[in-house]
Amino acid sequence: MNGQYASLLIAIPLISAFFVPVIKAASKKAVMPFLVLVTAAQTAAAAWVFNEVYTTGKPIIVMAGAWRPPVGINLYIGHFAALFVFIVAAVSFLLSIYNFKTIKIEPIDKYAMLFLLLMLGATGMIATGDIFNLFVFMEITSITAYALTAYNKTGEAAEASMKYMILGGIGSSFFLIGIAIVYGSLGTLNMAQIAQLAGSMNATAAQAGLALLIFGLAVEAELFPLNAWAPDAYQAAPHPVTVMFSAFVVKAGLYAAARLLYIMQSVGSWHSVLKLVVIMATLTVLVAEFSALRQRNVKRMIAYSSISQVGFIALALALGTQAGVDAGVFHMVNHAIVKALLFIAVGYVAVELGGAEMENFRGLGRRMPITAFSITIGSLAVIGIPMFNVFWSKLRIILATVDVGYTWAAALVLIASVVEAVYYLRLLHVIWFEGSGERITESAALGAIMLLLVALVIVIGVYPDYVWNLAQKAGADIFNVAQYIKNVPLMGVGA
Amino acid sequence: MVSILKRSLAIITILIIGYWLAVAMSHVPFGQDKMLVGQYYLNHVKDQTGAINAVTAIVVNYRGFDTLGEVTVLFIASTGVGALLWKRKRERTARVPGSVVLTTGTRFLFPFIVLFGAYIFIHGHLTPGGGFPGGATIATGFLLLYMAFTVYEIPHKGFEVTEGLVGMSYVAVGLIGLLIGSYFLYDWIWQTWHVGTVGKLFSGGFIPIIYILIGLKVGTELSGIIDNMLKEGVSGND
Repeated sequence: MNGQYASLLIAIPLISAFFVPVIKAASKKAVMPFLVLVTAAQTAAAAWVFNEVYTTGKPIIVMAGAWRPPVGINLYIGHFAALFVFIVAAVSFLLSIYNFKTIKIEPIDKYAMLFLLLMLGATGMIATGDIFNLFVFMEITSITAYALTAYNKTGEAAEASMKYMILGGIGSSFFLIGIAIVYGSLGTLNMAQIAQLAGSMNATAAQAGLALLIFGLAVEAELFPLNAWAPDAYQAAPHPVTVMFSAFVVKAGLYAAARLLYIMQSVGSWHSVLKLVVIMATLTVLVAEFSALRQRNVKRMIAYSSISQVGFIALALALGTQAGVDAGVFHMVNHAIVKALLFIAVGYVAVELGGAEMENFRGLGRRMPITAFSITIGSLAVIGIPMFNVFWSKLRIILATVDVGYTWAAALVLIASVVEAVYYLRLLHVIWFEGSGERITESAALGAIMLLLVALVIVIGVYPDYVWNLAQKAGADIFNVAQYIKNVPLMGVGA
Repeated sequence: MVSILKRSLAIITILIIGYWLAVAMSHVPFGQDKMLVGQYYLNHVKDQTGAINAVTAIVVNYRGFDTLGEVTVLFIASTGVGALLWKRKRERTARVPGSVVLTTGTRFLFPFIVLFGAYIFIHGHLTPGGGFPGGATIATGFLLLYMAFTVYEIPHKGFEVTEGLVGMSYVAVGLIGLLIGSYFLYDWIWQTWHVGTVGKLFSGGFIPIIYILIGLKVGTELSGIIDNMLKEGVSGND
């Protein structure tokens, strides 16, 4: 099949989102099953693209309107994008089933549209090869996220959404000014051509442009000090939306930041920007871990833990070495699996027991054994116990960090990991050794989803080689900019 | 005391960042002939897209993928407003009817406003303007109706379904391009069929079609947002 059909990854969610009002006019009950269908189709398309990219070893370049870049916009579905577009689609598919249990608040049809568009936005951010197109998809992602954060229509949700909107708005403006500086200096928006010409930019202008771009993305990527919205939004958003935030929305932001960072690597002031990101990432880890320690709400606690893991990923991606980027991508995959598992389980508990407060988790081991087991495996994995998947990626990140000479950063994140162990073990103590209660019948579908994710955590933990291989290929896709430029069939305009 | 310290610290930080940005901006050659792709567009726009209005050709054809995204952003805005202001039953609460001038003027002007909006988006490939301003013009017509008449409401179901169908048609135009020219959003009307004469109304390939779709979509969406914001939930029913 023609590689251009990869554009279906954008077309399927979009046309389906527009179709929802039509379906709703026919039958409101059909909306949720329709979501399952669409996400299944998206997963199939993503699986085909993944297979295509990894068997041929060549990226798929989708050229919209048959215009060759830089005249037109291209999607660049390389090893990284193929892997993550598949993760986005697969997680969304699982969540479309999870929706049945967790979304009771009207208007469900609007929720369905926003759900699909959030998936679309993250897919587009990961796949695009054009910096302004990246901005458009970032807008799609963030505006959908504002609306979904406030979806529960409580006071907290409105406040969280407002905070997110203000920070996100500032971030978007930064990003736009950054684009203006780059476009004004180079006269092109195509990322491959920017990479080609970046060396000719004035060093100060490049430093400011890149810093503005990174700061703009830092809101989506949840980096300190622009992540103040995240814990509130994670807590107040509907449970499936929290999973999406943690599993792939933040990843899309991180990836975009890393991609822009590396395509600009030939500018003179590159290392100072890298150092800035390393500091931001380390602070993210520290601040988030110590804040998590004080939380009484489990969903919020795991939200802080998610932010700290994101800091880990950002640290790895900002090291500027192949080993660091590989480790960061590996951690992205592991984090997506583990945090999807934890947020699904915690959200399920909150639905069944009326809230995610710590008290509700007393005796969970007896009341909801499958869910409790899933939370346990997830927590042990996040702490970084060997034989679980996160252990390997954390290890690689710390090794890569020490390798570059940032021993202080490695030491700080290790200390933070100990803090992480404290609050996760406290949660496990509450679940297994406190309280008691009646057994609740757990949903078979959700049990199956959670056990599937648990199985992934353990299988990757015991046999990390396959995923590590994928991560290395995806990491090379980000790190090897010369190859990236070569892969995009640039037209000889100007230059 | 503390607040003065805080404030001066903030001001100093802002000044430092501002200075840094100003220095950076001064090194960007704004306004100079640096536009690599710009010249290409100007040289080729007529024979490649069949449109006279180069801006439109870039927005809808060369960078049509971005425009599809922008249409989606507006769709999200209207959906989001609809989701957040949702109530089981909502009513208009305005009590003061519009003055004679307003009601008569609205009655008289409404068809012309819609006509003018349609004119703007149908001629997008020839004259300045296009789907977005055209749609916004149509929405102002509906806003006038809301202001003039206290009981007026748009036909919600029809508008919502139109919004959806029009959006689907946009993606469908792109998918037809994928089937005919094997590229998503490929301009099959101009590049495969060569329909139309440059400079006439029937030209510009799929640009007029897409702009008509965008015009309808923007018009219905903005009217929907106005409707959502003007109505209030009826208490006791939610």
